[in-house]
Amino acid sequence: MRDRTSATLRGVFAALRRPDGRAAFLLGLVGYPPLYLASVGHLALGARGHSVRVVADPLSRALRPTRPFSFEPVARVALEPVALLVSPLDVGVALVLAVLVGCNLAVGLVAWRSPAACGVEGSAGALAGVPALLTGATCCGPAVLFALGVGAAGALLPVLRYATPAAGLLLLGGLFLVAGRQD
Amino acid sequence: MGYRTTRRGAMALAGSAATALAGCLGAGSDAPAASAPAGGPPAADRSPHLAYERDRIREGVVSGGVSKDGIPAIDDPTVVDASSASFLRDEDVVFGVVRGGTATAYPRAVLVHHEIVNDRLDGVPVSVTYCPLTGTAMGFERGATTFGVSGDLVNSNLVMYDRATDSRWPQMLGVAVSGPLAGRPLREFDLRWTTWGRWRARHPDGGVLSRETGYVRNYGVDPYGSYGPRRGYYARDDTMFPPLTSDDRLPAKRVVVGVRTHDGAAAVTRTRLRRRGVVDLSIDGERLVIAHDDALDAAYGYRVPPAATVTAGEDGVVVDGAARPAAALPFARWPAVEAMWFAWAGFYPGTVLHA
Repeated sequence: MRDRTSATLRGVFAALRRPDGRAAFLLGLVGYPPLYLASVGHLALGARGHSVRVVADPLSRALRPTRPFSFEPVARVALEPVALLVSPLDVGVALVLAVLVGCNLAVGLVAWRSPAACGVEGSAGALAGVPALLTGATCCGPAVLFALGVGAAGALLPVLRYATPAAGLLLLGGLFLVAGRQD
Repeated sequence: MGYRTTRRGAMALAGSAATALAGCLGAGSDAPAASAPAGGPPAADRSPHLAYERDRIREGVVSGGVSKDGIPAIDDPTVVDASSASFLRDEDVVFGVVRGGTATAYPRAVLVHHEIVNDRLDGVPVSVTYCPLTGTAMGFERGATTFGVSGDLVNSNLVMYDRATDSRWPQMLGVAVSGPLAGRPLREFDLRWTTWGRWRARHPDGGVLSRETGYVRNYGVDPYGSYGPRRGYYARDDTMFPPLTSDDRLPAKRVVVGVRTHDGAAAVTRTRLRRRGVVDLSIDGERLVIAHDDALDAAYGYRVPPAATVTAGEDGVVVDGAARPAAALPFARWPAVEAMWFAWAGFYPGTVLHA
């Protein structure tokens, strides 16, 4: 296990030393948080003007859960046409997942371009970030899944409540699978 | 800006206005037991119809995917003058109520993110509630307590909890189904589902719930879709959660106006009500009439004496030969609930339907 962990870390760092690997990492790091925050309703279009509004007592509000692995926003930043609800812990979750997505993209790309590695496993790694995008229970029910055409999406709620940690574990697993093997 | 808060009159005692709201369900023999625990919202004299045993309803309760209070009720609402409500467009849906001569509008765009406003109208502590998944806006007296969003649903309908006893109250039923107050019916009052432009034309000096809710939300964004034009959840014929009972007499999301008594329930489609002007929805000898207010495009329910003649006329509703506005018939008001058909039929299987 320790060997595999060391091999995974070496594989990730090796991928990040390459320009194409760094570009893929940055793509994940920058691209995933907006997707995640939009899926939970914290990033939206349609704002008018520019404004910043902060709630009273933001510290205690930031720790108040709204659903599993999501917390109450403490500020709203509007920069026409984009509005962002700032929930520090949600942003933290998005960034952790984004780092993992970026690493998966980087090692996946390197694996794909390397004749010695398995391309299928590499491309599958970054897809592990998808489950966290489907939680989207912004109010009642999994609105994202319903919007994607899944009828009776409420039946999936017992599974979806674990989608965010599952996404993290799957992303880690993807790294172990691909980066660890590349060593 | 003309801000005023609804915390005025804060010394009013919670239980002192027991008879203040019109439209409370009628007196009868189903008052809660004298041994019912103290606290919690005041009880109506008689329970509305329950088509299922409470156990069956409790079994139908599911998680909506959010934590308790994850959808935060507005506990300290701010009301602004209609002239200051620049954040509303004429076509935006509002829920309107008039109490003590004062009109207040609650924008749907705000309630879709909070579902409950713990307010005070004409000195009476009330909760204005809205469930997006069933399309129901209803008002209840809350007494000294407040209501919160439990995070659970039954028949896709919001399950509220009171913060005094943590009893659980499905909004459409208006009766606690679990907790210390199980079986207690709420005192209910009716709201108008209309648009801001229509409401403001009727009540230009009224107030409107502002977006200063104490929370930050993207109030211009409805996570479920849109009512103008109808899109997303509100337009699709399927639901996120299966109803307690399915009834294919109408498409699932068709809007009906329903009434229920202690003995049963009846409904009319909104389109039929709009076309007919007046519809008789009597249930087991209890005469209930729904009148359509053309200016608001909204429904008013009344309990009507058997001998009265009530018909639609050119200039409103004709009662015993005299034309009157739909909003002011000379009868006791009775809550008429607008709801998506699947939700109404799910709670009231076998409901009489005028389509």
